[in-house]
Amino acid sequence: MYDFIKDPSLYNFVRGPLAWIAFFMFIGGSIYKIRELILLAKKEKTVIPFLDLKFSLRSILHWVVPFGSVNWRKRWVMTTMTFLFHICLVFTPIFLLSHNVLWHESWGITWWTLSEGLADIMTIIVIITCMFFFLRRILAPEVRFVTFTSDYLILAIAFVPFLTGFLAYHQLLLPYKIMVILHMISGAAMLIAIPFTRLGHMFYFFFTRAYLGSETGFRRGTDW
Amino acid sequence: MITYVRKPIPDIGIDESAKRLTPEKIEKTINAVLKGTGARLKAYLETCVHCGLCSEACHYYLSHDKDPSYSPVAKVKMTLWEMVEKKGKVSADFIRQCSRIAYTECNRCRRCSLYCPHGIDIWYLMALVRRICLLLKVVPQYEMDTNYSHAATLNMMWLKQDDWIDTVQWQEEEVRMEYPTARIPFDKEGAEIMYTPIAPEPKFKPQLLAATAKIFHAAGVDWTMPSSDGWDNSDISMHVADFETMARVERKHFEAAVRLKVKRIVMCE
Repeated sequence: MYDFIKDPSLYNFVRGPLAWIAFFMFIGGSIYKIRELILLAKKEKTVIPFLDLKFSLRSILHWVVPFGSVNWRKRWVMTTMTFLFHICLVFTPIFLLSHNVLWHESWGITWWTLSEGLADIMTIIVIITCMFFFLRRILAPEVRFVTFTSDYLILAIAFVPFLTGFLAYHQLLLPYKIMVILHMISGAAMLIAIPFTRLGHMFYFFFTRAYLGSETGFRRGTDW
Repeated sequence: MITYVRKPIPDIGIDESAKRLTPEKIEKTINAVLKGTGARLKAYLETCVHCGLCSEACHYYLSHDKDPSYSPVAKVKMTLWEMVEKKGKVSADFIRQCSRIAYTECNRCRRCSLYCPHGIDIWYLMALVRRICLLLKVVPQYEMDTNYSHAATLNMMWLKQDDWIDTVQWQEEEVRMEYPTARIPFDKEGAEIMYTPIAPEPKFKPQLLAATAKIFHAAGVDWTMPSSDGWDNSDISMHVADFETMARVERKHFEAAVRLKVKRIVMCE
């Protein structure tokens, strides 16, 4: 087992072809899903004629601002956790120094990076908020009633890359090499899962919000 | 474990019609309705992260001591998600439960859509469930009766044209006891507005028509009401998801306004 891990070919596979597959599936899958949705929307009589750019943007802005909407203000713990989770989840991997080093090695590109200490804190925030969501699923009756196994799975898909990344950075639990390979595999799994699971709300959020915002605006109302 | 527990309430419209269902008919109907949907259903099914944030929007949920089975997402889970997952292979008992949930535990106020961070139109999802129940004819008797009234008379209270005219003229006399020059003008072409009540007014509370006439008289409004079909602005067919009848009722309402060449329609409520 240990020889298998020590053999660089596994690392090379994860670092090379698997990363390519993950990025290809993520970008290609996302384009495919969005295109599919738009084509379907064109067939429906009531969607496209209602869409309005101004109302759509107003609605999206209203809800991406923390505590902007009535429901965000009502549930301040959930709101704080949700925003911290999503901000850290999206920005940590993009602006992480070691990811930038990999991109620099592969394609010679880099951009701004977070300081290592800040990135560490952001990773811990993702881990803590994931645990919060997990506990909420179990403890809050209205959430528990609508929870399926898939809900725990998609939470785990988001959780594991950050956990393994954190453990690898601090060289805890398992040898660094094993942990970093697990980290890369779980990261690839997350990228592949985004377009094909309910993690796709990353894109669909903008479409569903745009439609409801347009409809409320069309009826001369505003989002709450 | 939380379950859906309710005190049984007998309703001929639901119980008796559910007995006539066959698995093939249920499957065929559900799949026909789902096939007619498009981007919205797909996006809503694939976007909902089951977070439960819509719960506190629902007055059924709040007034049942936060019973999770009354939360909007729970109602979708117990009806539409299951139909989609089982591809329409559900039992007649399940349809009975769907009908009870969609018609009597959600009144489609749409507050939940305004509480959903994704803006999922839960109202639309419940409308799909109602549509399926309607096509299977498993609808609470009173609502189905009102729908049939719309289909037969184009108003929701089984009022015939002579009932309507007679009631309005009676109320006109009442108003004129107080305001001798006041009128309830029928079919006045080219009036400023066409006023339309809902059918329970002439049926149960005709004095409301007199009250309206007094207000219009005092305000000096140039108004009229149609004497034939199209005078009722309500449309219960929309609520039971009988879209064919709904369209007939709406069309007649607008056609009455066009026929009278009015500038706008004013509705009660």
